[in-house]
Amino acid sequence: MRVSPIPLIAVLLLAPLAGCDDTTKPPPAGEAPKPPSPEPGPPKADDAPADGGAEQPASEPIPPSPDPAAQPADPPGPTSASFDHAPAGAIPPGQGPGYLDRTVWSPNMCWPLAEAGFPNSQVYGPGGGSGPAGHPNQCDSLNYSLPWHDTFCEARSRSNPLCAGSGTGHQGQDIRPATCKKNEHWAVAAEAGTITDIGTYTVTLVAKAAPHYTYRYLHMQMSTLAVKEGDQVARGQNLGKVSNDFGGTPTTIHLHFELRAGVSGMTTDGKPVTLHTFLPPYLSLAEAYQRKLNGQTCG
Amino acid sequence: MRDGRRWVTTAAVVAVIAGAALISKGEAQTPPGAPPFRFGIAAVVARPRITVEWQAAVGGLRQSANVGESLAANLDRAQVDATAVPILLPRDPKLTAGARLYSFGDYYTITANTAGGRVSLSGTTATVPLPAAKPLKVETGPEGLTVQRTVDGQLASFVRFGVLYTVEIRCDAPGDPRCHDDNYVLGLVGKTTAVVMGKAARQAAGLGG
Repeated sequence: MRVSPIPLIAVLLLAPLAGCDDTTKPPPAGEAPKPPSPEPGPPKADDAPADGGAEQPASEPIPPSPDPAAQPADPPGPTSASFDHAPAGAIPPGQGPGYLDRTVWSPNMCWPLAEAGFPNSQVYGPGGGSGPAGHPNQCDSLNYSLPWHDTFCEARSRSNPLCAGSGTGHQGQDIRPATCKKNEHWAVAAEAGTITDIGTYTVTLVAKAAPHYTYRYLHMQMSTLAVKEGDQVARGQNLGKVSNDFGGTPTTIHLHFELRAGVSGMTTDGKPVTLHTFLPPYLSLAEAYQRKLNGQTCG
Repeated sequence: MRDGRRWVTTAAVVAVIAGAALISKGEAQTPPGAPPFRFGIAAVVARPRITVEWQAAVGGLRQSANVGESLAANLDRAQVDATAVPILLPRDPKLTAGARLYSFGDYYTITANTAGGRVSLSGTTATVPLPAAKPLKVETGPEGLTVQRTVDGQLASFVRFGVLYTVEIRCDAPGDPRCHDDNYVLGLVGKTTAVVMGKAARQAAGLGG
C-alpha cells in the first residue's frame, strides 16, 4: 500500500496545461427498457470460478498473512443471534488473518437479501479455487448450509488496512443466496439511501442517515437491476438479483457485500489517521438476519 | 511511509502549487474521547464529527476564484446548496461536465463518468472511531493521504479543511492500468483543489447564504 509521491508531483506540475480525462455525458433521463430476466438455472460451465470466486485475480499472488487473531481471554458476551454462525473473525489457519471485532457497525441495517443466505468462503469452500478436495461443485450442500463464516480479512491481494500482517485481505462478506440458482434471489437495500453509482458489476448505496455508510453490492445480474443511479431507495427495496456478474470474469454465484465509512484510528506506527475504508459487516449481518428470523419486516 | 524525505518533498510541492491556504495542518482529525472498544454484539457505535476548518476553507474558496463555480456549473445547484461542507472539485472540466452530485448535508458524493470507468469524489465530516486496540496497516502522506486498492479500482483519502475527502476510480475492465496502480488516482488527488461552497456551507462559514 505504498503511496508514491512521484505521480502526484508530476500531475501537479502538468495539471494547468491540459485536462486528461475523457468523459461521457450521463445517460439521458428516462430508463431504457430492460430485457426480461432469464430463467434461473444451475451454474453452467462458464460459471466456473477462474478467480477462486472471490475477486482475486489468478495473476496476483496473495501475500502471506498471519494465522487468525487469538481470541480474547475474556470472551465476549453472547450474541443475540441464535442461528448457527461461527464467531466473527474466525478464519481457519492459512486462510488469512481475519479481523476480531465485536462491534455491530450498522446496528439497524436490513439483511441485504429478500430470503435466507449463506455467508461463507468463495475461495476455500467447495468449488472455490482453494476448496476442499473431493468437493469441486459450488452447489455442494456444504456451501448451502449453516454455520455462517466470516470472510472479512480472508486472504486476498487487495488493500484492507484493518487486516493484520500485510494490510491486505477481503474487503467485505461473501454471501451465497438461498439456493444455488443465479438471477433468482433478490438483494435488497440495507438502509434507506441513494444509489450513487452503478458499475459493470457493482451497485453503490449511500445511506441517508449518518454516518452515511456506503454499501457496495457486487455480482448481481446487472442487466435486470431494479434501480438506476440517482434512485432514492427505501430499506428492504429490491435492488437486483444475486448472480455471478464480474465484468466477464467468471465467479461463483454470490453477493459480495461491502460496508464502508469514514473512520478514524491509529496506524500501526502510531500515527492518527482518518480515512474512508472497509468495516467488517459480519455481525451487522448476523443481527439483521436474526431480526428477520424474529419476524421483523424491513421496509 | 518508507521514505520520509520523499514525502517532505511532495508536501513542499503541494504547498507551493496549490497554495498554503489549501493545505490543512497535515494532521488527520482524530476525534477526542473516542470510547474504548466494547465487546458484545449490541455495541453502540459512537459517531464523532470532524470540525470543519472554515477559515482555511474560505481561503481555498478565494484561491479558487471563479474556477470552482465554473467547474460546478453543471452540478445540481440544489444539491450544492444543501451541502454543508466545502466541495472539492478536480480542475478537469471534462470530468466535471457530466458529474452528478448527491448531497446528504454533512456528506456528499459526486459520480463522474470517464471512458471505461467512473470516478467518485466525496467529502464528509461524519466518521466512526475504530477500536484503539486495532491499529490500521496503512501508510500516510501529506494531509493524511492514503491509497487503497479495491476490487475494481483505487481509493484515495485525505483530510483538508478538517474534512475527510475521498477520490476513487473504478474501472470496467480488470486490466485498466488506471486501476492497477496508484498513479491515476494520485494525479486526480493532485488536481482536486477547486473549492465550491453552496448556501449551507457559506452560512456555516459565516459568509451568509
